[in-house]
Amino acid sequence: MNCKELVYLLGEYLDGSMEEQLRSDLDAHIVMCDSCTNFMATYDRTRIVFRQVQLAEIPGEFRERLRSFLADKAREHHQGIEKYRKMAAEEQRRQVEALLRAFRERRLSPSLSLLFDSHRDRCEICGAFLRSLNGGEETKPVPPEIEEHLVEFLEALPPGEEPFRS
Amino acid sequence: MNSREHIRNPIPAVESKLEWSMPAEQLLDDNVLLEGLRKSAPEAVEALFERFHGKIYGLAMSILKNESDAEEATQDVFLTVVQKAHMFKGNSALYSWIYRICVNACLMRLRGKRRQETVSIEEFMPVFTEDGMHKSPVEDWSKEVERKMLDKELGKVIKKFTDELSEKYRVVFVLSDVEGLSNEETAQILGLTVPAVKSRLHRARLYLREQLARYLREGKTA
Repeated sequence: MNCKELVYLLGEYLDGSMEEQLRSDLDAHIVMCDSCTNFMATYDRTRIVFRQVQLAEIPGEFRERLRSFLADKAREHHQGIEKYRKMAAEEQRRQVEALLRAFRERRLSPSLSLLFDSHRDRCEICGAFLRSLNGGEETKPVPPEIEEHLVEFLEALPPGEEPFRS
Repeated sequence: MNSREHIRNPIPAVESKLEWSMPAEQLLDDNVLLEGLRKSAPEAVEALFERFHGKIYGLAMSILKNESDAEEATQDVFLTVVQKAHMFKGNSALYSWIYRICVNACLMRLRGKRRQETVSIEEFMPVFTEDGMHKSPVEDWSKEVERKMLDKELGKVIKKFTDELSEKYRVVFVLSDVEGLSNEETAQILGLTVPAVKSRLHRARLYLREQLARYLREGKTA
């Protein structure tokens, strides 16, 4: 171990991440080298001194401008989210209505018809509701959790599949 | 966008209009704060602002060294955090994600700009003889600095030396030594490896140490 090696390993030596054998070698060098002892003391002191560097303070006028800008933007963003959510909910309702109407009017594609029948017979979430429609004879308002579930059912269809004839 | 894609897109969970109320102390919890931010709840946005505005502006200033650039970057950071809160997956600490956004916003701003004058770090690296010994004896001035810790003059020169570091080293130094982040966090924020962070940090400290030594020896800045 020499001074040059010690200097380049000093960061790891001081942060404690150095392996034990290497640390012993460095310790042995430091004991007999005044320059390295001094270098380590001043390097360590530098770390401590520079930790107190003051980051620039935010100007008061900008702070207030930023605060009100952010509040306005957050409000706009919130309204945007609301609008998007409502559109999505509307679209969801429309899809489920279209599915159930096609079911009533016997317009489901052959593969969807097969899937839909087997799903209706065994699904614990929507089975009872679909069975209560009495083969499409009856119309009922769709509870939100069943609407959500039926959208997932449509989502799971293979891409390109036309679920029903228009 | 067809209707099915429309539904498939992630929709931030919003239950009601601005009816989100949470005591201020609970907003100190990152998860609670994030839940509020995902809804753009005013209390959450205000809590975010209170908690981070000083840090973000300070970090932006330390990278950009220009007030109007730092103001614009700070504004961008907060806007991004509010608008993308629903995309934060919690893989890192919230502050670490926000710092990353800040560093990216600043580096984007620096791109294409003429870099400000910085000092070449190489001429401040220690010099050794051929057999690896210190070329000249090293003095111990650590006690002298300790005594001057509260001097305004010393405060000014350490700020000057830090500002003169090139941005490559300064960002690492500010995040690790001033902000006290771990090397791993700094690496994650900057998209560097941990060894690269350690190396830059060490070189930054060697440069600062030598600047401080010359200042104490000569009583003036380089």
